[in-house]
Amino acid sequence: MDVTLSPELKTLIEDTREWGRSEARPAGLEADRAGAPLPVDHPYFQKYMDRGRTRGQRFSNDLEPAPEGRVMQMVVLGEEAAYWDRGMGVAAPGAGFPSGMVNAAGTPEQKERFLGPFSRHTTPHWASFALTEPTGGSDTAAFRTRATRTEKGYVLKGAKCFIGNAARADWILVQATLDPSKGRAAQRAFFVEKETPGLTGMKIEKKMGLRSYESVSFVLDDCEVPIENLLGGERSEESRGTGSGAYATTMGALNATRVAVAASALGVARAAYEEARRFAKEAGSIRSQRVRDKLEFMLRKIRGARLMTLQAAWLADNRTANIVESSMAKIATAEVAQETAALGMEIVGLEAGAGDSIVEKLFRDAKALNIVEGTGQIQRVIMARNLVGLPR
Amino acid sequence: MQFGIRDDDKLIVDTLSVFAAEQLRPNLRKAEAARTPSSEVRVRSAELGFEALDVPSASGGAGLGMLTRVLANIALAKADAGAALALDRIGPSVYVLDAFGGAETISQILDPVLRDAEARVVLVVEPEDRKLSAGDRVTGTVTWTPSDHADLIVGLGPTSAWVMRGETSAEPVRSIGLHAAGASTLRFSGTVAAAWSNRAAAELALAKTRLYYASLLVGVLYDSSEFSRKYAMERVAFGQPVAHHQGMAFMIVDMFTAVEQARLLIEDAARRIEAGLDARQHAAAAFVEAVDASRFVGPNGVQILGGHGFMRDFPMEKAMRESRALGLMAGGVERARDDAANLAASEEFGGI
Repeated sequence: MDVTLSPELKTLIEDTREWGRSEARPAGLEADRAGAPLPVDHPYFQKYMDRGRTRGQRFSNDLEPAPEGRVMQMVVLGEEAAYWDRGMGVAAPGAGFPSGMVNAAGTPEQKERFLGPFSRHTTPHWASFALTEPTGGSDTAAFRTRATRTEKGYVLKGAKCFIGNAARADWILVQATLDPSKGRAAQRAFFVEKETPGLTGMKIEKKMGLRSYESVSFVLDDCEVPIENLLGGERSEESRGTGSGAYATTMGALNATRVAVAASALGVARAAYEEARRFAKEAGSIRSQRVRDKLEFMLRKIRGARLMTLQAAWLADNRTANIVESSMAKIATAEVAQETAALGMEIVGLEAGAGDSIVEKLFRDAKALNIVEGTGQIQRVIMARNLVGLPR
Repeated sequence: MQFGIRDDDKLIVDTLSVFAAEQLRPNLRKAEAARTPSSEVRVRSAELGFEALDVPSASGGAGLGMLTRVLANIALAKADAGAALALDRIGPSVYVLDAFGGAETISQILDPVLRDAEARVVLVVEPEDRKLSAGDRVTGTVTWTPSDHADLIVGLGPTSAWVMRGETSAEPVRSIGLHAAGASTLRFSGTVAAAWSNRAAAELALAKTRLYYASLLVGVLYDSSEFSRKYAMERVAFGQPVAHHQGMAFMIVDMFTAVEQARLLIEDAARRIEAGLDARQHAAAAFVEAVDASRFVGPNGVQILGGHGFMRDFPMEKAMRESRALGLMAGGVERARDDAANLAASEEFGGI
């Protein structure tokens, strides 16, 4: 496929590649072998900051123009970053995922208070977003974490799990419900700042793969936050009718990031393919037609999944509905990443089995991509709702 | 990267889609039984200039690119792939003549043949080169070709091509499908009118031929996927549309995805050809993807309709047969798989 890239994007790709080769991949391997995320004071993060690589540090309307389209640019760079290490991308300091929600639904004061500092930090800081709960992740409309209005603000009670970067975050944007019987209409998002009493039980999970970023479980034990920490503020309750619109905001953010996850799955798949091809050439097994067939299959599926992802990005940049296309891309890329890494292990053989090849790490990493931000099954449900009107 | 359709292409696709819906689809079974589209349909098709879309303008064609051809083939094959084949008297042979001889050769060889409104030029894709020169005798048998006659035979080997004028006999066969274009075992014997040897030309012609058939195949797969999707939304079982049973819904989603993936790969390879880039690996892979998808989508189009799918009252059994038939064209899928794999393994391959 020939992607015509602007000089601006080429520069950004080269920059990402250089960082990936010299820093992100070695750091990711270090974390993987240690079986735990790099500590907050690891020099990697300060280096990252020194290169001015903070995410979500600018408000959305101040972002650099992208000739290819902003989503297309995100996809191309996301693939390149994940090629070197998907986990280190998530571990990167910055406001990250929740910044999109804050930009979309936050008050001006909240944007300044919670995102503003990220544009000024010179040392690593993180923010986090907490949606998944121990009793379920895919059914985003069925949170059990409860928010109760008090005189001073809101008291949160519940538990969250598998939350990225939560143990090191300055604040966590927590999804909760004012009334479980009212479904989505009662959902809200709250900023819970570090050290808030009741934010407790932080447990960094041990994972099969993607070990380079924290996946954290924690408890909200009568954790009280001020009124100003309700995303969108209480003033929006009446004007919007459905409160801070946390459910809509969350789904909007997830729709946007589905393409980003697809891009990262492409990066993982491409890394597995290229490593398997390199190994087959060096070992001479590329002369085997069976090995060539496997490599061809991997290549074709990656190319097809990438075209799907770019198509979804192109539609988004052209302000055209892309729900079906982005879910399709998420399904295809996640499955391709898993299959490519699995076939890559067959090509590399016992060396991969011994854990000496990056293909083995990619095989463990890839599985998560079919789970995070909407499993492959949930994506099919979303597609089916649009294609055949599958009832909710 | 461009995903939208060009204005000119949209006009062509829209026009052909209307023609396909009004002229081809209602006559699906009639053309199949008659082994040819009606003369009225032929006249209308000739007016639209479908067959000359990607014939170079210097040879009297529209001179449009590979992407236009691919989009046009998909539009027609959604209605009837057999008729689409029958209505393009030249077929992918034009790619061979263009790659080896250019516009002048196309005019010289095709003009006399195309005076006949029902002429057929048959392309024979062969696994070995014949090493022929003009004036040599050439004989051969094609066990099955979707045509009831051949007015000109064009042969394409791995590095060579030839054109034969002379005796051909077409013995009708039942065949798996594409009956609207005819079906015969073709025996030919005659004199080589022209012969060439040029690996690059042969590979380019084969790449285009693969995209020609792959796009027809994807058109059929769209039909399988779309017709069965709509049926599943209307047909009720256990108190709800069958499409709302999740086992069925997921299958429909996966069929949709499989067709989209094949379409994107085909269009991407066609864009590469239009841009003058090396598309050999991409075209071979796109053909493989379409054929692989056909084994999943075609039978499931029938499956969704259940017993009705198996009956000739509905078009799904035809789509299943024809998707299988198209996968046998252009030298077959195993050769395409080998080419895609070997080109990707080569040192000069540029990457994904």
